[in-house]
Amino acid sequence: MKVVNLLAEVDAGKCRGCKTCEKVCPVLAIKVENKKAVVDTERCRGCAACEQRCPDYAITMVKREQPIVVKVDVSAVDYGRIEELCRRAKLNPEQIICYCTATRAEEVAAAILQGARSPEEVSFLTGARTGCKVECIQPILRLLEAAGIKPEPPKDGWQWYGRTVTVWEIPEEVKRKYATRGFYFDEDIKLLDRVAAAPVQIRRDS
Amino acid sequence: MRPPIKPIPPRQSQYGIDPALVKTRVCELPGMTSVLLKELFPDLPEVIYPGEEGVAAVRKATEEALQKIDMSKIKPEHSVNILASHHGFTLLGGEPYAEMLKTIKDVIEARTGCKDIRLRAGVGLRFRETEEYIKRYGLDKHFDGKAIGVAPIDQGIPIETEIGTLYGIRKIYDADWIVHAHNSDVREVHFHRQVDRAVKPFGMSYARIETRSTYHQNLGPRAANFTARAIFDSPFVQKKFAFASFLTVAPNGIIGVDADSDLYALNDRVTQIGCRYYGKMMTLFGEIDECIAALDFPCPVVYVFSAGVIYANFAGANTDLYDLDMPLPAYTWYTEAFYGKAGRPLLEDIPPVNPAIKMCVHNYAWTGYPSAFFSEHIPTVVVGQEQADLFNRDPQNLTYMKHAVVAETTEAAMEFAYKTTGTRKVIIFDGAMGGINVSEPMAELLLKKAPAVSERVENELLPKWLRQRGVDMSVLRKAVS
Repeated sequence: MKVVNLLAEVDAGKCRGCKTCEKVCPVLAIKVENKKAVVDTERCRGCAACEQRCPDYAITMVKREQPIVVKVDVSAVDYGRIEELCRRAKLNPEQIICYCTATRAEEVAAAILQGARSPEEVSFLTGARTGCKVECIQPILRLLEAAGIKPEPPKDGWQWYGRTVTVWEIPEEVKRKYATRGFYFDEDIKLLDRVAAAPVQIRRDS
Repeated sequence: MRPPIKPIPPRQSQYGIDPALVKTRVCELPGMTSVLLKELFPDLPEVIYPGEEGVAAVRKATEEALQKIDMSKIKPEHSVNILASHHGFTLLGGEPYAEMLKTIKDVIEARTGCKDIRLRAGVGLRFRETEEYIKRYGLDKHFDGKAIGVAPIDQGIPIETEIGTLYGIRKIYDADWIVHAHNSDVREVHFHRQVDRAVKPFGMSYARIETRSTYHQNLGPRAANFTARAIFDSPFVQKKFAFASFLTVAPNGIIGVDADSDLYALNDRVTQIGCRYYGKMMTLFGEIDECIAALDFPCPVVYVFSAGVIYANFAGANTDLYDLDMPLPAYTWYTEAFYGKAGRPLLEDIPPVNPAIKMCVHNYAWTGYPSAFFSEHIPTVVVGQEQADLFNRDPQNLTYMKHAVVAETTEAAMEFAYKTTGTRKVIIFDGAMGGINVSEPMAELLLKKAPAVSERVENELLPKWLRQRGVDMSVLRKAVS
């Protein structure tokens, strides 16, 4: 869940149409049309990625007059299916996957089970990945993959490139090679498995 | 008791309030004093900065350290990216790190005849932070307009590693050679656990979001930093790596500059400094039974400094952050992730946030890092409505103020903290150089506890910490001598 209280605003006089904003927007809410960036105000989730990377300082974040509450209703989906999807992705349903918006795995799973097919759609629906824009791409990709979805990165975009390795997939020879250098792969697998299997604290059945 | 040490002044930044709004520093209030770190731990090394020579000492140390580096592979027609990170600019005012960067450029140019030398400065979660530093320290001019900040959402480049494809920032690697210009300050021990500290930027400030998310979500708290090693060891990076130059830092200041074309040799030396000196400071902080923590430094909440220790690590000082047998510190992102909807950890053995922190007075700290976990778990008073408003506009901190209250002035905030907590022990995270600003009862406690802590670290903890990281003390001693 996220309360979106900001909105990107473009100064057309400064914008040179370089498309950097388009390439970094996690919800595809900004596009260059006729060589000027245009914000889709309904889609914008106020993350400031465009404002922070615009090379011409043409974007500012302004306060929304009416904040938007972005949230997927977890209770609208059978919780058993949510749990199953999360645990297949080796995540606890109540585990926080976006530290900025405190979005939990269950909400992302509910978004996917209700039809989200890409990280961009997940971010648009839940607000996850619209805070720091950095840390939560992998669990979102893991949940999509666990649901049998193979999303393609936005064409020509820099939003994301691909899912990467998890600790469960580290090759045994790599583990052996670095066993004495302070990397506790197997011990961390045990920890993460325990977390994933831990009972949820507040179960909300549909 | 000594008077307080002048803290690092507020800085103009888009991530913090206008410095003019910081009317009072916590150390200026009655009852505050300071303790020199050498009084606490007399074995702390001598420092070159702060010192009489100022940053000239850093230039000299850098030139000396670079003498042993073979730069013959860098040809006049080549390009070189000197890779920097935001963190260095937060150390002791930032000038020492900026001076090291300038000196590296000057030495490479003088020794090799290479003119195409660029500065690529990576960031954490404040994407324009190093842009601000580049201007502040005149690095754009020194690098002939070839100094830029780079961010993890910038265009990426796939890097094939022994654990699969990871992703770096394209502009970090768009030169024939890269020079890793960093520092040995420990900062985020809760994340890297002093494992491959020297290598970390390859998985973080030089890396794309996919890699950073791998670190913080896919590998686990003690395997995380392997992302950095995997990238650094990749044929792609090895082909470009020229050498590393580090500001070596102890809690009391800059102790020198260390350069090496073998990053892992340098890393072992960094590990030893980190465990020994910072380990003592953190262990001492773990002895604090109750306190008010005052944040008063131009950095995000987690990164404000006291005696080289950041607030995020103080929040976990009730646990041994260096002990790798302990899976989760009281604060790290994995720990934060593992709090369920009822507000309790999902596993019973996850340690609580340091219960000694009875209240946090947030006098001055920046946005740009998700910090709501702290205000949710530690009673927090924020000074000034302007600061509260700034946090409410930060996409990373939209719920920080949900859990905090606002006081109009520093004095009012501290009075509230004294009355409600009942303690007069105050520790101030204001970056005081060479010492630590605290209240008098806190000074007494630290001075009383330090000798036993020093002995315990030397005899019991340090050997264990180094053994866990595969660092052989005898080899290190030989290398140093």
